Amino acid sequence: MNSLIRRGDFWAGLVLAGLGMHIVTQAWGWDYMTEEGPGPGFFPLWYGTVMVVLSLLLTIGAVLKKVPGSQSKQVSWGEMRRALTCWAALAMCVAILQYIGFMLSFGMLTLFIIAGMFRRPLKEALAYAVGGGMGFYALFSWALDLQLPVGSLFQQFL
Amino acid sequence: MKFSNLFCVLSVASLAGFGGLAQAQWKPTKTLEVIIHTAPGGGNDLLARAVAQIMEKEKLLPVRMQVVNKPGGNGAVAAAAIAEKKGESHTLGFITSAWIANPLTTSEAKVTVHDLLPVANLLRDPALFAVRADSPYKTLKDFIDAAKAKPGQLKQSGGSVTSRDNIIRNTLQASTGAKWVFVSFQGGGERLAALLGGHVDIMVIEPQEAGEQIRAGKLRVLAQIADKPLAAYPNVPTLKQAGFDVVATPQIRAVVAPQGMPKEALAYYEDLFLKLHLTPSWKKYVEDFMLEDAYSSGADLGKSIEVIEKDIRIQFQLAGMKLVR
Amino acid sequence: MDILNGLMQGFSVALTPMNLALCFLGCFLGTVVGVLPGLGPPATIAMLLPLTFKMDPTGAMIMLAGIYYGAKYGGSTTSILLNVPGETSSVVTCLDGYQLARKGRAGAALGISAVASFIAGTIGVLLLMLVAPPLAKLTLAFSSPEYFALMVLGLAMVVLLAGDSLTKALLSMTLGLWIASIGTDLFTATSRFTFGQTALLGGIEFVIVAIGIFAVGEVMANMEPEKPVEMLPVPKGLKNLLPTWQDMKDCKYAFLNGSLVGFFIGILPGAGATISSFLSYGLEKSYSKHPEKFGTGVIEGVAAPEGANNADTAGAMVPLLTLGIPGSGTTAILLAALVLWGFKPGPLFITESPALFWGLVASMYIGNVVLLILNLPLVALFAQLLKMPGYVMYPLILGVSIIGIYTSDSSIFQLGLLVLFGLVGYVMRKLDFPTAPLVLGLVLGDSMEKSLRQSLMMSQGDLSILLRPIPAALLGIAAFLLVVPLIKKFNATRVQMIDSEA
Repeated sequence: MNSLIRRGDFWAGLVLAGLGMHIVTQAWGWDYMTEEGPGPGFFPLWYGTVMVVLSLLLTIGAVLKKVPGSQSKQVSWGEMRRALTCWAALAMCVAILQYIGFMLSFGMLTLFIIAGMFRRPLKEALAYAVGGGMGFYALFSWALDLQLPVGSLFQQFL
Repeated sequence: MKFSNLFCVLSVASLAGFGGLAQAQWKPTKTLEVIIHTAPGGGNDLLARAVAQIMEKEKLLPVRMQVVNKPGGNGAVAAAAIAEKKGESHTLGFITSAWIANPLTTSEAKVTVHDLLPVANLLRDPALFAVRADSPYKTLKDFIDAAKAKPGQLKQSGGSVTSRDNIIRNTLQASTGAKWVFVSFQGGGERLAALLGGHVDIMVIEPQEAGEQIRAGKLRVLAQIADKPLAAYPNVPTLKQAGFDVVATPQIRAVVAPQGMPKEALAYYEDLFLKLHLTPSWKKYVEDFMLEDAYSSGADLGKSIEVIEKDIRIQFQLAGMKLVR
Repeated sequence: MDILNGLMQGFSVALTPMNLALCFLGCFLGTVVGVLPGLGPPATIAMLLPLTFKMDPTGAMIMLAGIYYGAKYGGSTTSILLNVPGETSSVVTCLDGYQLARKGRAGAALGISAVASFIAGTIGVLLLMLVAPPLAKLTLAFSSPEYFALMVLGLAMVVLLAGDSLTKALLSMTLGLWIASIGTDLFTATSRFTFGQTALLGGIEFVIVAIGIFAVGEVMANMEPEKPVEMLPVPKGLKNLLPTWQDMKDCKYAFLNGSLVGFFIGILPGAGATISSFLSYGLEKSYSKHPEKFGTGVIEGVAAPEGANNADTAGAMVPLLTLGIPGSGTTAILLAALVLWGFKPGPLFITESPALFWGLVASMYIGNVVLLILNLPLVALFAQLLKMPGYVMYPLILGVSIIGIYTSDSSIFQLGLLVLFGLVGYVMRKLDFPTAPLVLGLVLGDSMEKSLRQSLMMSQGDLSILLRPIPAALLGIAAFLLVVPLIKKFNATRVQMIDSEA
């Protein structure tokens, strides 16, 4: 069972089958064919069905693979942890962007990546964080006159 | 003039003068943002940029006017963006009739035109019924008769199903009993290409888009959708003149402001667009682009919106569309 | 001879110092705009429009057109170096371009992209000059049935882009088709898959999906090893800094392919530059001697789509100038600009405003040369950028991605979507789901559905409208493309089974 769970294809297939079912059920609620031509439900029904069929094929294929690790990718949590941490940092950066503005949130993200993920000295990370933020600001906000988010906390000072 | 009349005129004039002085006290102090619902190049985008240019030329505005594009959701995204600026004095929006029509069928549109304050109406877009030059229809009546004879066989190209093109089609179908198919195309260019290529039989097109094709003799105009004939098309019958006395829902282009805008700011902007409408640059713009100058003040705009919405509601119901509000 | 006269007149207009300067400025701005993801020609031209009112219209048009095709040159830079499509039509360049960079051949990829763009751009202008008016008829002959068949042909390419697992490629494609249908249905005003969100009513922007899946996904994948692998090997020696003669020879068909496919798809208002680059890429792969190498860093895989998206620009001028019909956001603004200056694009344009038309054509020739000269030295410059350590590049890419999305649609929701698609891209990478079919489904799905529904509306449900000559031919080619590899695969599997039983 363990090796099964580790089969990425298995899970991907299930998730996509789920999405496909959602698409098909939604499409069922719309008109398949109206008197003037195919309705909004026409296309989604078709590709939704294809999605369900193919993803079930994928899942079954993953289950039937007797030789472990032969064709489908093994899901290894170790390596993924770093990537997902980085993603979480990016998500945070975007979430707080509207409050503290681009420069600060980007600076923090840079700091996290350079110092946190790659263990470079803090001073170096700080230099890049500040330099990067200012660089982007100079290029976009000042030279190209494109608005970068300032952050609602600071808006009142403007 | 009788003395009492002169006195009235004088007192009104001085009051107006004082009133004007009081109003002139509020001026915008930072960039004026105008939010529109099309991407760069779309209808209101060009209008907004033209307005910005005219304002600068005629020195009507002490600050810069910045066009902010918020496309998406047929106006719903832009409407939401304007509503977010509640209470602000430096944000306006340019709307079209689509802002009135679309929320009727879209439940995701959380902000409707009723949540915004009317400032002024600027224009009405006239439109023409056009067919290819080699088509057998010489008048709109010819087309309608042919459609009655072959129901569902003739085709009109147009925009979305809630657009003015389709609304006028539904109106005519209801009043004449004819039936023809409406084929939606995303872009104006595609609609015109479909007509020129012979894939559809008729379309509703704006004079400015059609101008060149008509001049080159590729398109024939059957009727115009306007209250009075356009200067450029004096011989083309209006719908009424062609014998179709129907209510043609207008395509308006108007200015709105977010709720809660301070009274002085609102009054300033109303006055601003009144002045704009009187400038020679504006008149030239309207003439060059074959538009219909239909200025009305904020209060009148509010009333027109009610009337337009009522009409559109009836048309949608007749067409069997699902209304969500 | 009319043409020669016109061209002479055009050059006399284009070669004035003022117009030359404007051409140069436009090309330069265009390259910058192309390099920056999220900032595209439409927005830039719209911003510059007020400035042009004080200029001579011919010069202004030359400048704006320069921005248009300059952007196509620049778009490939970030595609190759950062796996970030700078322009939506450059997304196909990411497929092989980025892989070439990973092999240390970034310079060659950038160089061949500039060369292919030059050759295809020039051929495109040549065709524009020679056959513009008759082509107008071809443009009009294409309507929904023809577009539908074209999109089917495009989607048939998914088989060519499949790689190992056809199932996964098709699943990827259906995912793309689904994302394409999020939004308001044009024909019935029904909202589909919007999950109640106003922001989704207009659908999801292609740029967000592309940058999320390609750029952000790639950065995440690179986070895995503890020690940062050198971002991309810096090209060593002149051999890798510029394309070699061998490269040029390998690409000789790619140049032609890109020019013709790009131009002829370009003249169709309903088909965008992304479609021409996909079709050109797929075509190149289908007659290549080593199709399985596509996607791993094959030089023709960069030359073909890059050429196509440049020739597409020249093609797009045909309906714009001869019919007044714009085919894309950029051409719509160019049309608006022309109208604002008092010109009248339409059937009478070429005869009534020859100075502008021929001046524009001549400036496109000149522009292509200017861009080649501008871009080749930039190759060396950009290649040096690769010396940056990985841990500096990654935040840089993320920063550029965020800014790119924010400047084109300033909402946190869209940024949130970017982050979401970054995760999707990463997961797809880990699970070996090819990303190209998703992009293909996204780009073509919407068009295909609309064309099919329009066709059936035009024919009152009669499917035989799809068997008109042009659609029938295109559908035939698509069927051929679909069936042949499947037969090959079937045979290969059969042989494998027979072997394993032996």
